[in-house]
Amino acid sequence: MNEMMAKTLSFGVNGVIGFPVHVEVFAANGLPMMEIIGLPDTSVRESRDRVNAAIINCGRQGDPRRITINLAPADMKKEGPSFDLPIAVGVMMAIGTLHPVRERDPEKTAFFGELSLDGMIQPVNGVLPMVISAKENGVKDIVLPAENAREAACIEGLRIIPVSYLGEVTDYLEGKKEIVPQEQIPYETLQRESIFPVDMAQIKGQAAARRALEVAAAGGHNLIMIGVPGSGKTMLARSVPGILPPLTFEEALETTRIHSISGRLPSGSGLMVTRPFCAPHHSASVASLVGGGSDAKPGEVSLAHNGVLFLDELPEFSRNALEALRQPLEDGIVSVSRVKRQAQYQSSFMLIAAMNPCPCGYYGSSRRHCRCTPQEIRHYLDRVSGPLLDRIDIQIEVDSVPIEEINSQSPAESSAVVASRVSAARMIQQERYKDTNHFCNAQLSSNEIRRFCELSTEAQRLLHMAVDSMHMSMRAYNRILKVARTIADLAGEEHIATVHIAEAIQYRELDQKYWR
Amino acid sequence: MCSDSEIAYLAWLASSKVPAEILKRLLISFRTGESIYKAVKSDNQQILEFVPVSVLNALRNSANPDLICRMDHLVLQYAIHAMTMHDPRFPTILQEITDPVSILFYQGSPECLSRRAISMVGSRRASYSGLKAAHQIAQDLSMEGIAIVSGFAYGIDTASHQGCLEGRSPTIAVMGCGLDQNYPAGNEGLRKQVIDSGGILLSEYAPGEKPLPGHFPYRNRIIAALGEAVILVEAKIRSGSLRTVDHALEQGKEVFVYPGDPTSPFFEGNHQLLRDGGHYFSKALDILEDMNWLDKNQSEVQNSGCSISTDGMSPEEEKILRLLIPGELSFDQLAAQSAVSPSDLLSILTILQIRGAVEPLPGKKYQIKQ
Repeated sequence: MNEMMAKTLSFGVNGVIGFPVHVEVFAANGLPMMEIIGLPDTSVRESRDRVNAAIINCGRQGDPRRITINLAPADMKKEGPSFDLPIAVGVMMAIGTLHPVRERDPEKTAFFGELSLDGMIQPVNGVLPMVISAKENGVKDIVLPAENAREAACIEGLRIIPVSYLGEVTDYLEGKKEIVPQEQIPYETLQRESIFPVDMAQIKGQAAARRALEVAAAGGHNLIMIGVPGSGKTMLARSVPGILPPLTFEEALETTRIHSISGRLPSGSGLMVTRPFCAPHHSASVASLVGGGSDAKPGEVSLAHNGVLFLDELPEFSRNALEALRQPLEDGIVSVSRVKRQAQYQSSFMLIAAMNPCPCGYYGSSRRHCRCTPQEIRHYLDRVSGPLLDRIDIQIEVDSVPIEEINSQSPAESSAVVASRVSAARMIQQERYKDTNHFCNAQLSSNEIRRFCELSTEAQRLLHMAVDSMHMSMRAYNRILKVARTIADLAGEEHIATVHIAEAIQYRELDQKYWR
Repeated sequence: MCSDSEIAYLAWLASSKVPAEILKRLLISFRTGESIYKAVKSDNQQILEFVPVSVLNALRNSANPDLICRMDHLVLQYAIHAMTMHDPRFPTILQEITDPVSILFYQGSPECLSRRAISMVGSRRASYSGLKAAHQIAQDLSMEGIAIVSGFAYGIDTASHQGCLEGRSPTIAVMGCGLDQNYPAGNEGLRKQVIDSGGILLSEYAPGEKPLPGHFPYRNRIIAALGEAVILVEAKIRSGSLRTVDHALEQGKEVFVYPGDPTSPFFEGNHQLLRDGGHYFSKALDILEDMNWLDKNQSEVQNSGCSISTDGMSPEEEKILRLLIPGELSFDQLAAQSAVSPSDLLSILTILQIRGAVEPLPGKKYQIKQ
């Protein structure tokens, strides 16, 4: 028998960036064996057993040969089971049991897919970045698991061939079978289908909190809620993705990429059209929050990119975890460095934190009796460090809603109505900051605050009186200005007036009551 | 004033738990701690006239130079002073109560003990409104030159001391442990303030004595004794504060009871006491009036200043203020009753707050500032 060589194409992922992988298969005479080289990890190395079984089960095994599989470039690490399919195709070609027709050249078609022993093709992670990379590399045809087809369908100008078992692929390549390519789904269609878990119309009462969330969403401000257990903090937070402006296509791509590589996309789903809402439990480690692990995986802050990171029970998070949030909050990006790997992930999110006012939860509640000593309350509040608190513009108190209010039928405003006001305010900001690299008020530095947040003499006087009578710090002063700017934008006014300042001051009330 | 070594002897005496009446008799006849120590050491037969054998044995066992040396050390380290009833500044009332006090350890200025004083008591884990009230009452009384006596614990005690300091009168803190003990742990700053502002920290317990639970109800008799009247700010139905009230009644003192919210469990004890004949009051002025501490013209001036001034307010600000007259309201209730939009309501509340007309309460509630 002659020695035979075959090549197929696939893609790998490093961080959120895809890169082309050429799968080269060489079948030589000698002792029967199969070896994979080119820095494969364990899941790639185990591929040979899956591939062998799958090929036998679709009836394409040939004579035993000595097979070497090289994944080029040889100096990049290859991870995950998505190379099963290109390896299987390459092996069948090399041993002479598969003869693709000319116009379906496996060397110009990208393959992704995990094989099961019976030849079924399973969905894989990271399809979106790989497909984007395929497009950048001029690849037109992509064969991938049917469950991943929608995810890839948002990219224009590609022929996506969804497949569900190995026999289908061989028949397709040999021209014996036609497969209808996945139709491209325009982004707008996806957006129309978007559903939010909580609509603001479902929230009863909480007029002050609703307004605060609207202001926070309009200016991209981080927000903290303090309130007794059961006052609806979590529900309020969950409503925020629904009032933020819709994701743009670019934002959707960025966010979906990150979710795709961490395997968080629900199977069969396409591009993410709603802003992500991440709510890690308070036992979360530093690595799970900001990213890490030996393979430098993205953390919750990156999964919340362009969306909301909700930290419930803020003081219960470990100090280290909270401190690690400071860089992503400041820069909107995290660099995860590990011995074997470095990666940068975007992480510009809106932080919403919630906490009880004291360890037992009922400090200041008229309905239940708080059992904590002043000492315990102080310790509890002190777990939230000043620097973190510094990055939170809006502080509000949330009280539980009386039962009469819950049963009342008075309809509340829906998320859509609020979202339209928020979008309008965001437009004003984008226009104002078009010469800078900002897009919302929350990002202003203290110099820029002076430039963009000019006050009338009367408003200035009110603010000074407030700072004086409420013993506010300089940092509170700057936050008030930023939030007042957003309130003025919501009202569609160019200048910050007294009422805007007065409202903004209410969002610092916790400074007075708790962190004095 | 006692010398340091005498303070150490008194500390030994206080730490050896001699019953109060016996201690009083001992100090009357021997005058100083040192002479009692020597009498015990030398088996002076005269001492048996005052002391039963069991007590004498206890005294003998504890009378050793090591203990005196240790006490001397503590006294110096923590700048603790002491006085006995022979000291002219010693409050004589403490000799007249059941379980009379004969030795007082102190830090600060004993001169303030001669001032007109009122005792304030209340719960450690107090409600927000109780704390506010305690602070305000103490401050108002303090501004009239009245010293506030309290127990230096968390909650109402701390609020009363702080209010008194803000009104610029010295405050008197009666501790339930040795003065070297940092108790309660969060009140270190207050301790310094009390001393710096001419107030005093008192204890009948020797240095080194731990804050044991039994000490507190016992020292309450001193709190009751040192004030000319006792104010109960906040007490649940079974509360140590009510024990102080019992002491006060036993000593023939006036007891003023802050009314508080009748629906709140925090004030159950108050209302019980009001039913039992406690003096009702709502502000410091009422107390001054009932105690006859008021000059005539002062009362007239004060009486006219009770209504809420709405000068220079916009109609909407006035509307919100009027809604708050019956009592505290939550933000949602205010929004519903006034039909003002949340954003406008927030800004109106800020302005009212800055004007000093309204104050925020925990739980997103507001009330008229008293």
